[in-house]
Amino acid sequence: MFRIIKKSLKTGVVTGRYPQSAALQESIDPAAAEKAKPFRQSLVIREVDTGSCNACEMEMNALMNPVYDAERFGIRIAASPRHADALVVTGPVTVNMERALKDAYKQTPDPKIVIALGDCAITCGLFKGSYAVTGPVDRHVPVDVRIPGCPPRPAEILKALTELCGKHDRRQAAGS
Amino acid sequence: MADTESADDVLKAEFPPLVQIERTRGDFIQFLVQKELLPAVVQYLHTHPRWHSRLALLWAVDDRPMREGASLHYLFALDNARQWVVLSVELEGADRLFPSITPHLHAAQWYEREIRDMFGLIPIGHPDLRRLVRHEQWPKGTHPLQKRFPWNKVIGRQQGEYSFLHIEGEGVFEVPVGPIHAGIIEPGHFRFSVAGEPIMQLELRHFWKHRGVEKLFEQRILTDAVPLAERVSGDTTVGHSLAYCQAVETLTGLEVPRRGRFLRSLFLELERLHNHLGDVGAICNDTAYSLPHAHCGRLKEQVMQLNDRLSGSRFLRGVNRVGGVTVDLTPDCMTEIPKELGRLDEDFSELESIIAANSSLIDRLETTGVLTARTARDHAVVGVVGRASGLDYDLRRDRPFAAYGELAVKVATYHYGDVRARMRVRVDEIHESIRLIKRLCATMPAGPIAAEPGLDSKGPKTPKAGEWALSAVEGWRGEILYMVMAGENETIHRCKVRDPSFVNWPAIQWAVVGNIIPDFPLINKSFNLSYAGNDL
Repeated sequence: MFRIIKKSLKTGVVTGRYPQSAALQESIDPAAAEKAKPFRQSLVIREVDTGSCNACEMEMNALMNPVYDAERFGIRIAASPRHADALVVTGPVTVNMERALKDAYKQTPDPKIVIALGDCAITCGLFKGSYAVTGPVDRHVPVDVRIPGCPPRPAEILKALTELCGKHDRRQAAGS
Repeated sequence: MADTESADDVLKAEFPPLVQIERTRGDFIQFLVQKELLPAVVQYLHTHPRWHSRLALLWAVDDRPMREGASLHYLFALDNARQWVVLSVELEGADRLFPSITPHLHAAQWYEREIRDMFGLIPIGHPDLRRLVRHEQWPKGTHPLQKRFPWNKVIGRQQGEYSFLHIEGEGVFEVPVGPIHAGIIEPGHFRFSVAGEPIMQLELRHFWKHRGVEKLFEQRILTDAVPLAERVSGDTTVGHSLAYCQAVETLTGLEVPRRGRFLRSLFLELERLHNHLGDVGAICNDTAYSLPHAHCGRLKEQVMQLNDRLSGSRFLRGVNRVGGVTVDLTPDCMTEIPKELGRLDEDFSELESIIAANSSLIDRLETTGVLTARTARDHAVVGVVGRASGLDYDLRRDRPFAAYGELAVKVATYHYGDVRARMRVRVDEIHESIRLIKRLCATMPAGPIAAEPGLDSKGPKTPKAGEWALSAVEGWRGEILYMVMAGENETIHRCKVRDPSFVNWPAIQWAVVGNIIPDFPLINKSFNLSYAGNDL
């Protein structure tokens, strides 16, 4: 026990210790921001991977680590699309995942937001045109927010999500 | 004994009809085997105790237009990969049948099913000919890697359902999981048959993420496919791009300068470090012990931010190119990196003692998800998972590449094959990686970081159509293999990619038997295999 407390004291608070995201892409579409109004206090996300290379998944996971700690903005990950306010979709939508994506979309209660994360989800990236790919995501479900990058840095994802919820990362601004 | 004996003479003496193919490049022996003789040769290599053989790779090539027909190639690693033997079988014209070796060699099972799906070649005698890569809604006769199949064809849909293996009886029921899982992970389907709590059988249904990577390689030229290799499995960016670059370098005769090789090893170790740190935390988290997860998340983030500062990418994307690396490090970096990693090493050691002191955690990890050495060997399992089950095998030591010939790599091996062993392999490799990085920084030679095509006196040459090369890299998960075959005008005729996940996935079906379903996420995490690298 003593060891654990000592370790925690020694480590201190690491939240916000990350470099400023460089000039952010396009800002959030006002229509999407309007749609996100009911979720300002709490945004619950279901992540659906439709064929990404798993780098986007790693960066989504990084959002939940103590450095980015997305939960301090009320952003949480749900285990089921039925508990979600937003779907974060990564990957170019493969032939085999097409139905699962549509099912997950149908199972998400209205009102809902769809966020296409990464270049593959937005344009199919390097996989464009392949026989096994039917995307991009907006061919199958309506997309509200696009976060480009291959993969986007966690700081960029966090910035887009907080902007969507109308919040600012004060700790980060102070910390850097 | 086997160490001194070369496999080619022995094989020729055992099987006189074998024809050895002279190879000018690549460090392996190749034989042309008659179709009928193949099972016997495979049986011999597999069962004869002197070879300690392992089926490392099995791939097919549609040889058109160079030759009318397809061919199959079997790569066996003998004596811990110190010797490689390739057996090649040529099919003539419209011949679509080849003898299955799965009845002799369990490890061939998925490979042969994959070949049937992708090429339409039929393994005669295979016990399980259900579809693997193509899900049931793909129309009949869709074989994407045939040369006459257009890469951008829009494929139709048909009705169909996969028939899972069923266990019947009183109180037996099935639990389907996936393709979309509860956490932020990739899609895959798991079908459990349980009676009460313990798992009686697990069947995997993968390839949801099949993106047609191997076909996309064929649309590119040799020097221009590195970005695609980096995206085979995002978490193994350096491992895959390095394996691809090495294959092309062998093919074109490019010699990578010493500094380039050192930097490649350095980047590969950084990748190993951030992935292993994440895994140790995630294993603890799956037992609901979230404190190490938080600390490991922080340490992993530290390494990824270091990657970002060094290369401009958190995943070290774009560092490898054919002929060397693109990113050079300043002398300041060479002192900064060891300092930062030294602090991290200390930090992690403290955390390690906290983890080791938690008896309820250790109790949960021990004897959970045991993969026996026998099962691991039968499935030709590689990497961290194999080393935790007593397979003492690491390419960095056994078949050195990049700068590993000049480093003495300590290989961590455990014999229990349980979740704890897999975690301990990772913990040991974290310390070893840090040691190797410090060593690399201390002995970093000066000089160019990449071979400049044209400046080299020997000069790289354009490979002839049909020439191919193999390459192997010990990525953080395990052995990554690439086979690159050149086409006309520096195009790629065929590129076979094998992520370690492809051979390790089937083994998990045996590791979970007898465990309870709530332990499955933990076992799965301790394997931590890539879905993207498996599905291609």
